[in-house]
Amino acid sequence: MFAQLKKKLVFTAIAATFSTCAFAADLPPLNSDTEKDRIDWTQLEAKYGPIPEVKEGIRIGGVSKTLTNEYWRTLGEGYKSFADKYKVFVSYLAAANEEDQIGQLSIAETMITEGYDALLASPQTDANLQAAFDSAKAKGIPFINVNDAVLPVTEYYVGVVQKDNGVRVAKWFIENVPNGGKVAVIEGQPGVYAAKQRTEGFSETIATSDKFELVASVPANWSREQAYNAATNILQRYPDLVGFYVNNDGMALGVVEAVKAANKLDKCYVFGTDGISDAYNSIRQGELTGTVDSFPLLTGEVAMEVALRVVGGQDLPRVVSTPQALITKDNIEKYSTKDVEALRKALTE
Amino acid sequence: MSDTKNELKQAFSLKFNIRDAGTLIGLIIIFIVFSLLSPVFFTAPNLINIMQQSAINAIVALGMTLVIISAGIDLSVGPVAALAAVVCASLMVAGVSVPLAVIAALLVGALYGLFNGVLIAYAGLQPFIVTLGSLSLCRAIALIYTGGNPIFGIPSSFRSFINGSVLGIPCPIIIAAVVAIVLYIILTKTPLGEYIFAVGGNEEAARVCGVPVAKTKIAVYVISGVLAAIAALILVGRLGAAEPTLGNLWEMNAIAAAAIGGASLMGGKGSVFGTILGAIILGSLTNGFTLLNIQSFYQLLATGIIIIVAMLVDRATRGK
Repeated sequence: MFAQLKKKLVFTAIAATFSTCAFAADLPPLNSDTEKDRIDWTQLEAKYGPIPEVKEGIRIGGVSKTLTNEYWRTLGEGYKSFADKYKVFVSYLAAANEEDQIGQLSIAETMITEGYDALLASPQTDANLQAAFDSAKAKGIPFINVNDAVLPVTEYYVGVVQKDNGVRVAKWFIENVPNGGKVAVIEGQPGVYAAKQRTEGFSETIATSDKFELVASVPANWSREQAYNAATNILQRYPDLVGFYVNNDGMALGVVEAVKAANKLDKCYVFGTDGISDAYNSIRQGELTGTVDSFPLLTGEVAMEVALRVVGGQDLPRVVSTPQALITKDNIEKYSTKDVEALRKALTE
Repeated sequence: MSDTKNELKQAFSLKFNIRDAGTLIGLIIIFIVFSLLSPVFFTAPNLINIMQQSAINAIVALGMTLVIISAGIDLSVGPVAALAAVVCASLMVAGVSVPLAVIAALLVGALYGLFNGVLIAYAGLQPFIVTLGSLSLCRAIALIYTGGNPIFGIPSSFRSFINGSVLGIPCPIIIAAVVAIVLYIILTKTPLGEYIFAVGGNEEAARVCGVPVAKTKIAVYVISGVLAAIAALILVGRLGAAEPTLGNLWEMNAIAAAAIGGASLMGGKGSVFGTILGAIILGSLTNGFTLLNIQSFYQLLATGIIIIVAMLVDRATRGK
């Protein structure tokens, strides 16, 4: 252990003295939705066999986006529950708030200096962990981008196909609202990849049916309050609106309140994205029509599996896509299980 | 007249040394605690890490220190940095040479500082309100200019300069050190330094003594703007991209570093050395808590406690 540390010290000192830092861009910028070099999470075992033997004392660093959002906390629980099975140590940390980009970078860099065996990182923006990626690469520490913002140079990405979120909801409308009508989208933060893809997935798919008309698509910056106000305005302008697709659940719950206030809960369908527990409760109460759950707990487990496979020397595809499903009151009990094994079964059926 | 000023200055600098010693002891205690708890903490690569991570905040905080000594405040440092970053990045991406783009970024910082300074010094507006307005205004310009999108494709020559190192010391640390030395000289060896302390200590008295109050005020905001731009350049080099949302909450971290280092928001007090120590204290907290696998919520808690303890120590050592 000490010899290893000493070697690392000497190496870093030498590297630092002669550092000129080359930035070879060996991989093309990643588009996680369209990248061809990919595999579905259900195929990992079939194609690559069991997870390679996990050495004792392996430590994986989780760099979270924020711990003030249920989705990211649950993702970390997924890391831990899977790692526990293999007696792997996991540290799961986040900066104090979602906008502290340097803070998140510092955490990632400190983990790299400390010598973690791999990093599972969910960057706050497409750029803020670039420096950490560079130093991880220089030290041969695998850097796995988990969900949402995509570091363009990343060698591994684990996450959902963002576009599918919108596609699934649009398909539901086409199948379940035979008369069609006016629909609207409440978007997340402009310029954020996930928001753009989700919106595009919906608008492109809904356009394939000539019965539907997309009358508005406005950003609400992931804010419940802004989503509420936007939905109120849209409903005022288009009282005959048949549905909203909202880029995340927090905003969708704001939209539900606006629809309720306009007394249109039975005429206007509202769909969210993420599958947070409040969304499940709202679906059960018959308010939110549905959400596209991306199963953070299971996603966390898949990400940890990928980390262990990569650390074990397997050469995986660049993108591993994780599970998602459209949840409505018809199938909610099947997916709301806390038992991950049952969920895995339900999703692979 | 200049005798009284010198006496005043001497009295100040003597007290600063006691106060700085207090901050240094605080830093040493924090280092000892983390070193005992984590074997990695007190190793050369990790210490360099801490310094590198503190460099950006240190540079912004040094500008803030000057502003605070003059009894002002600059809340607009983050957005000014963002604007400088996106201007510099878009020029570089458009093929403008790196030195020119860097000068453009510094100019953006200086001009924005000039804007703040003129409103405060000549229009007589309160610094808090002016820079609060600038906080929104400047962020808006950066967002509108980029359409909200990050600018990628920073030339590797610029990146390897920022990410390079001399004798094992990363460039950001060297830049921060140079900035600190320059500001130290300005504060202690030039008339401008005397003026800044005089304006912050007692503006009316300073005016009577013939201190160019308005120009002094403008100077500190220009310096603060330029330093925000320098910090932005370092971040752009490290990230390989310039984001219009960059620099959120920089003002708070900078004020925290300056306050821990002994700057008084009432004006007239503050030191370069103290602020540097304050920035390193904040940086070592992030680092140490990560090494110990402790959630950032507790880091916020620790930061809050340290600021308040620093203020209590301040009161005890300065007597008033």
